[in-house]
Amino acid sequence: MIKTLHPLTLFCYFVSVITVSVVTLNPAILGVGFVGAALFLALEKGKTALKQIAFSVILVVIIAVTNPIFSHNGATILFFIDDNRVTLEALYYGASSGLMISSVILWFSCFSALFDSERIIYLTGRAFPKLGLVLSMILGLVPRLLRDFKSINAALKTIEKRRLRRYLGAFSALITRSMEDAIVTADSMRARGYGQKGRTFYSRFRFTALDFSLIIVFAALLALSLVFTSDVNFYPNFSLTITPAGFAAFVILSLLPAVIKLKEGIGWSFSLSKI
Amino acid sequence: MKHKKILVYIISFIIIPTVVIAGTLFFGSKAFAYLSLVTAILACVPFFLSFEGEGNTRKTVLLAVVVAVSVVGRFAFAPLQFFKPVSAVVILAGMYFGSEFGFLTGALSAVVSNFYFGQGPWTPFQMISWGMIGLIAGLLSRYLKKLPILIVYGALSGVLFSLIMDIWTTVSIDNGAFSLGRFLAVTATSLPVTAVYAVSNVIFLIILAPFFGKKIERLKLRYGI
Repeated sequence: MIKTLHPLTLFCYFVSVITVSVVTLNPAILGVGFVGAALFLALEKGKTALKQIAFSVILVVIIAVTNPIFSHNGATILFFIDDNRVTLEALYYGASSGLMISSVILWFSCFSALFDSERIIYLTGRAFPKLGLVLSMILGLVPRLLRDFKSINAALKTIEKRRLRRYLGAFSALITRSMEDAIVTADSMRARGYGQKGRTFYSRFRFTALDFSLIIVFAALLALSLVFTSDVNFYPNFSLTITPAGFAAFVILSLLPAVIKLKEGIGWSFSLSKI
Repeated sequence: MKHKKILVYIISFIIIPTVVIAGTLFFGSKAFAYLSLVTAILACVPFFLSFEGEGNTRKTVLLAVVVAVSVVGRFAFAPLQFFKPVSAVVILAGMYFGSEFGFLTGALSAVVSNFYFGQGPWTPFQMISWGMIGLIAGLLSRYLKKLPILIVYGALSGVLFSLIMDIWTTVSIDNGAFSLGRFLAVTATSLPVTAVYAVSNVIFLIILAPFFGKKIERLKLRYGI
């Protein structure tokens, strides 16, 4: 179901969830976001996601452990290193900060997993048609030019043994060749009427009533989470308050994709067993 | 075409300051991550808008090809780690096709290569950094045609790119506060990478710059751009 949603709906979702994640340092909220993103990523990408999730956890630990080295605020002193206080509050602060960074990174990964190039081009193409065209051309050109580069490089292997020299020569040849191709392509496009008015677009994405209602739900949840913020204070003493309305809204918002994905998975395995 | 120009001014002089001020008032000191992300994205929009207004098909396709070349360079030289021609291609693009073209080459190279190497909150900052490298190269194009100056600019842009990303790393860990100790630690760990960036920029520029000039001359002669 998620993949059949309109790109705009998905985009609105990520804007809301990332906005909430970057404006707070509350570890409870960030933790929920982290779990939501990690769950969805694991369900979407399977085993390859596990490495990424492990990396995010390590990132949180590194930032948490190194923060007391640079920050000596806080009332609860754990121990001293060369007259410098190592405090519990600085450790908490580092952990929260790390949670924010790694949860945002995970949300971006979820975004990349759902937004293939076609969706990106569709979204940019609406607001910036020319930019959308350039993006789609680039994404088509990259594999083609890489193939060209390899064949030029293979041909050069017979006359140049030094690797760096050969790569540079092949790269230079690639630039010449592709730039001349570009001019020919452009002339051909113009001859076929590119840039004339009255052009229509085809897209396979449909904006349904479900998309509309989902965007409203996201906006409502975003507003709730931003208005009823849960406060957190690190220095001098760590204190954490949770505002139920805002917190619940963010829990729903961040777990939504994972829940939908999970429900789909269960539905799929049930329909399989019936056959 | 005209209303797009007006929109460029509205974004640069009204929307970005409003976002920064409103964000600071609304979220206080916690606003850094949000503000920097939004500002970085918005700062790219005027360039994309003015690009939309242009009618030159050849330039459009050329942009796609130059960006594709710089992204392919990141793959092609993958066996030699951190040895990437992206900055060099961006600088040359800015020099020979103008500062706007340079900015777009840099910004799009960052977006597209991150399709393959991983998107993240760093993408908008890479867009801005590489975009600015191309933009400045376009503005200084007259001086950069002399090889020694070009080499200095190439080395400098490698160091600056690395420093900007380091500053961003530091500030995002501390959520807006800048701690010199942490900055030095981050810079020290990225020092080898910075050195390779600067050196590889210089090598690529020394080798590609003379060829690039000739290639452009050839294009002009053959197709009459």
